[in-house]
Amino acid sequence: MRRWEYVIRRLALAVLVLVSVSVITFLIARVVPSDPAAAWVGPRPTPEQIAQARRELGLDKPLYVQYLRYVRALLRGDLGVSVKTHQPILRDLKTYLPATMELVLFGMLMAITIGIPLGVLSGAKRNGLLDHSSRLVAIAGVSMPTFWLGLLLQLLFFGKLGWLPLGGRVDRSISLYNPVQQITGFYLVDTVLTGNWVALKDSLVHLILPAFTLATYAIGLTIRMTRSTMIEVLEEKYIVAARAAGLPERTILFRLALKNAIIPTLTVLGLSFVYSLTGAILVEVIFSWPGLGTYVTNAILNVDFPVIMAVTLVVTVFYVFINLFLDLLQAALDPRVTLG
Amino acid sequence: MADVLVCVENLHVRFRTYAGVVHAVNGVSFDIRRGETFGLVGETGCGKSVTGLSLLRLVPPPGEIAAGRILFNGEDLLAKSEAEMQRIRGRRIAMVFQDPAATLNPVFSVGEQIMGIIRHHQAVGRDGARRRAMEMLEAVGLPEPERLLRAYPHELSGGMQQRVMIAMALSSGAELLIADEPTTALDVTIQAQILALLVELQRSRRLSILLITHNLGVVAETCERVGVLYAGHLVEVGRTPDVFQAMKHPYTQALLAAIPRPGSHGQPLPAIPGTVPSGLERIPGCAFHPRCPFVMDVCRAEKPPLVSVGEEHTVACYLYPQGDCHLHGARA
Ligand SMILES: Nc1ncnc2c1ncn2[C@@H]1O[C@H](COP(=O)(O)OP(=O)(O)OP(=O)(O)O)[C@@H](O)[C@H]1O
Ligand SMILES: [Mg+2]
Repeated sequence: MRRWEYVIRRLALAVLVLVSVSVITFLIARVVPSDPAAAWVGPRPTPEQIAQARRELGLDKPLYVQYLRYVRALLRGDLGVSVKTHQPILRDLKTYLPATMELVLFGMLMAITIGIPLGVLSGAKRNGLLDHSSRLVAIAGVSMPTFWLGLLLQLLFFGKLGWLPLGGRVDRSISLYNPVQQITGFYLVDTVLTGNWVALKDSLVHLILPAFTLATYAIGLTIRMTRSTMIEVLEEKYIVAARAAGLPERTILFRLALKNAIIPTLTVLGLSFVYSLTGAILVEVIFSWPGLGTYVTNAILNVDFPVIMAVTLVVTVFYVFINLFLDLLQAALDPRVTLG
Repeated sequence: MADVLVCVENLHVRFRTYAGVVHAVNGVSFDIRRGETFGLVGETGCGKSVTGLSLLRLVPPPGEIAAGRILFNGEDLLAKSEAEMQRIRGRRIAMVFQDPAATLNPVFSVGEQIMGIIRHHQAVGRDGARRRAMEMLEAVGLPEPERLLRAYPHELSGGMQQRVMIAMALSSGAELLIADEPTTALDVTIQAQILALLVELQRSRRLSILLITHNLGVVAETCERVGVLYAGHLVEVGRTPDVFQAMKHPYTQALLAAIPRPGSHGQPLPAIPGTVPSGLERIPGCAFHPRCPFVMDVCRAEKPPLVSVGEEHTVACYLYPQGDCHLHGARA
């Protein structure tokens, strides 16, 4: 099968990318003027304690030995230990990564369900009222700074209207009386699995503002991309032919034209998914969302390099797999695309 | 006249562009009878496609039908609502286009496209639509319809693509097929096959065809009657042999001058001195007068009406006696 050959080739390439990224982050961690051993020991260390820590952490060995150790640990699924909290990073990620993924995926869902229909309709009725307003939304979404929008939304929906909570994943009362049982780490999934409907509703309410803040850029991009490709596609002869065949406008726009127009939009969406993983850093801080962003922000402030490296690797893995997924999806949607 | 299926009366189509108003079709009248192939010929830009699209009320913006009547089975299509038109398109009037590769949707399989149309127009389920689609593909001479349903447009040759388009167009029982240069984009041998197919379908289904082309050889082989269009004006209408052998209008004469005899394949239009008017400026009188070798004063002053010059043969030209003047087909 050609498709499998292609996937295997891409996976081999992915390994290469991961190795390079790990080498680079590893080197940066060693070049930066901060002493992990000092961080490991804590405040006011004695020289003996530091020397002891250097031995424990293997910092007394040559660089390449350190790197090989690091990689060997990685291959065993051991991402190392935070120099600050001394917690295994893998265990931290198991709680923080699902929180971020839930936020990002919910944001992507918003981008798809808001951005694509608006893009289709404004492309179909160019220069109409909807087109002008959705273009305004698109430009605002792409250009508005995340932190500013986030604060603005908090001010409006929490401060003025009191409709939505300020931050966090669930209310304190929920954590006390209807705690979410961790199964997948995705609250929307876990609450459904355990039938905890109060917590489901509460986590949904908590998701809206941060997810929307995170998704505004993707929403704007999706509207603009879908609109411009729709305009192009609607000029095509097969659209005239579909009209001549008497097919209804709804079918023409949302099926016949959209399947052609959506391919570039999906690429953009996939890439903004990856950017959202890093964009989440800011949003999580604003909305006190206990996710990867909050985790890595603390790590950066504490110069906690094992954590920074681990998060970088995780984001890289996502980047590589999303790209592969996008290429496969494109080939599945467009029969003219050949993989290779 | 019971055998008239379509009657176009005094059709005017214009495009409001930034450069000004383009008069693409200027008072065209003709009729198409049940079971006949009516040819519409003329140089590029003379308004053939716009006339064809008018019959489906699909003139693209900024174009609009400014005046006229289009009677289909005696009902005025221009008076119908958009919803009523949607039930006519594909079901009673269908259309095939010049470039089959661009007219098929590249991301849907042949089966998805043809079955989508069948299921929209007919009360059939998946299996029924599938059976009907295979019947149609066989009817247009495509082998292995089963396999073809799964194929994508780019996997087919140009001739096969056009056959698929014809199958799609006729899948819901249209009485009129508008074929806009259906063979222009194809190889010469394939052209002949597609034309033969159209003639065969026309006979077996008692179909009426409006065949739009600038290839006079195609007209000679397939059309019972033909109308000659010049700059949005119909200058001559008649039975194909009459128009080809006893052409009356100076433009028709110039068109046919370089062609040895009807029946010759693939003749392009010969060059005629002067340029085709753009449609932006309105030429007073006869639109052809600036290029006409027989131009008279009256030609510059007033638009010539269609006059009868033989049985079912009319021409818009002052060279012929103006007594028995009538708009051809306008008395339906
Ligand atoms: N979208 C448009 N905008 C402005 N003018 C148009 C448009 N489409 C057609 N026209 C005008 O209508 C006239 C007739 O066009 P039409 O496409 O009917 O020509 P045609 O006879 O089919 O030519 P061809 O043989 O090249 O297909 C053209 O001369 C052009 O000026
Ligand atoms: Mg044309």
